[in-house]
Amino acid sequence: MVNHLLDVKNLRVDLPTERGTLHAVRGVDFHVERGEMLCLVGESGCGKSMTSLALMGLLPRKATRRADHLRFDGVDLQGLSEREMAALRGARMAMIFQEPMTSLNPSYTLGDQLCEALHAHRKASASQARDRAVYLLERAGVPQAAERLRQYPHQLSGGLRQRVMIAMALMCEPDLIIADEPTTALDVTIQAQILRLIRELQREFGTAVVFITHDLGVVSRIADRVAVMYAGEVVETAPVAQLFAQPAHPYTRGLLGCIPVRGKTLPGSRLPSIPGVVPSLVGAVQGCAFANRCAQAQPACTQTPPNVSLNAQHAVRCVAALPDRAVVEAAA
Amino acid sequence: MTHEPRVPDDRADIAMEVCALRRVYKLKRGLFRAPGDIVAVDNVSLRLHRGETLGLVGESGCGKSTLAKMLLGLVEPSAGNVLVDGQEVDPRRRRALARHIQPVFQDPYSSLNPRRTVAEIVGVPLRLHAAGSAAEQRAKVREMLDLVGMPERTHGQYPSQLSGGQRQRVAIARALVLRPDILICDEPTSALDVSVQAQILNLLLDLKAEFGLTYLFISHDLAVVEHLVDRVAVMHRGAIVELGTREQIFARPAHAYTRTLLASALTPEPGLGLPEIALA
Repeated sequence: MVNHLLDVKNLRVDLPTERGTLHAVRGVDFHVERGEMLCLVGESGCGKSMTSLALMGLLPRKATRRADHLRFDGVDLQGLSEREMAALRGARMAMIFQEPMTSLNPSYTLGDQLCEALHAHRKASASQARDRAVYLLERAGVPQAAERLRQYPHQLSGGLRQRVMIAMALMCEPDLIIADEPTTALDVTIQAQILRLIRELQREFGTAVVFITHDLGVVSRIADRVAVMYAGEVVETAPVAQLFAQPAHPYTRGLLGCIPVRGKTLPGSRLPSIPGVVPSLVGAVQGCAFANRCAQAQPACTQTPPNVSLNAQHAVRCVAALPDRAVVEAAA
Repeated sequence: MTHEPRVPDDRADIAMEVCALRRVYKLKRGLFRAPGDIVAVDNVSLRLHRGETLGLVGESGCGKSTLAKMLLGLVEPSAGNVLVDGQEVDPRRRRALARHIQPVFQDPYSSLNPRRTVAEIVGVPLRLHAAGSAAEQRAKVREMLDLVGMPERTHGQYPSQLSGGQRQRVAIARALVLRPDILICDEPTSALDVSVQAQILNLLLDLKAEFGLTYLFISHDLAVVEHLVDRVAVMHRGAIVELGTREQIFARPAHAYTRTLLASALTPEPGLGLPEIALA
């Protein structure tokens, strides 16, 4: 068996609500190789954030997480105690959130917060921790890094705060960073800088990154591989160039068609759009969740869609993608 | 019978004009530091031609929303003036202005009253302006909701029962129910998912054709701006640094800031990688 850094099989997350059980994540499969950038892309409510929280063991207390396995470097995370999970978090798996102001503690200095991770997980003297913090802040493009250690989060701009968060995630040299919409709150020029930084540091430190976003423009520029999520499922997985050149799932094709592109879309023309709305995930979903919005829907779509492998790297969960020669995995 | 020579009257072509508009915010910086000024909008002059869509682009804090609020009469300019149909706007008579110019904001969650039904929300402008009898008002509301694609069964629902796209449709219906000439759209699709964004952009294009509307379209999304607008104004640190046709701005940007902004826009093109943007 290939030893992936992260291997997720049939991940399900349920949340109790007043109206019944919300199936936020409904049988997600994916893997992450060492050092690669996997983008999880999808619209709001598709389960991408819940998937990341499930991996980090940070789901809301009411939520239940089940999976066939959640292997991180060969160890199933489901078997770990809360204490063992806490030892992993921050040390070998780190997370970067969308809004750095809410994930930084306003009443501690940046230096305290940066060094805390190292003290919690590694034997390091105060001066060693400080040196590493300064080094990483400099690598993350924070000017006057040494002086910044005495500053508080409110004294920094949004872009600088996100640089600090990235430096903090790298303190213990984790194998995996999960970045949940880390540039969504930033301006476009700052976004481009931060994405470039994440990409550079990822390559330099050989860190694997699960990058969660709704922005296909961002995906196209940073991903090695992409997993497209819809209604709590991964509907298509492919290397980035293949996904944009030969999108196989009707939802992926619809998403790509919605964005006006220079030279391709006639200005002022009507844009293709996906009719209807995302289905409610409260209660059971019968068959393909996209069928009611899909132009290619057929009677077979009322059955659970098969996961079709178009080639070794490109898989799509759609019955319309079933040519005779395709290798069909048994649909669960 | 003599024909009067037609004087090309470009005044008639201008729906709205702002001249040397400026807005300064006083900043109190505590006991021991001198108070300072923040110039949010600095000497902006713009013309909005009848029937055009003018895009206004720039990053957060560049002053584009303050400018929009001054156009709507929601913020009083520190200097300069706003002219609608050649008449100077008196900021104390906002209701008169509202017949000509209406806003659509980014976040339909916070701009719709949660305790009113869809039909009530769209009817409020008609009530405030006492436009017709109650029955006439109801008919107008129905007609407008129909035009923006809100089915009959949603008219009695509350905003919390609607999707994001539906809420934005309601906000657009409310903006249009008084039949204004000008719509100020401040990031109208930024809070929406891409598949829904396309639906709302199509609706704005349809309504413009239907009513001959003039749009000021404020957005940070350059792909959307390029798709929708005739002209673009680029705003940076309170000032308009470049103004031109869509062609000029997107194909031949002249100002360094415009070029940086265009380079930062991540169009969905794998293989292009990430642009190198110098630290500001």
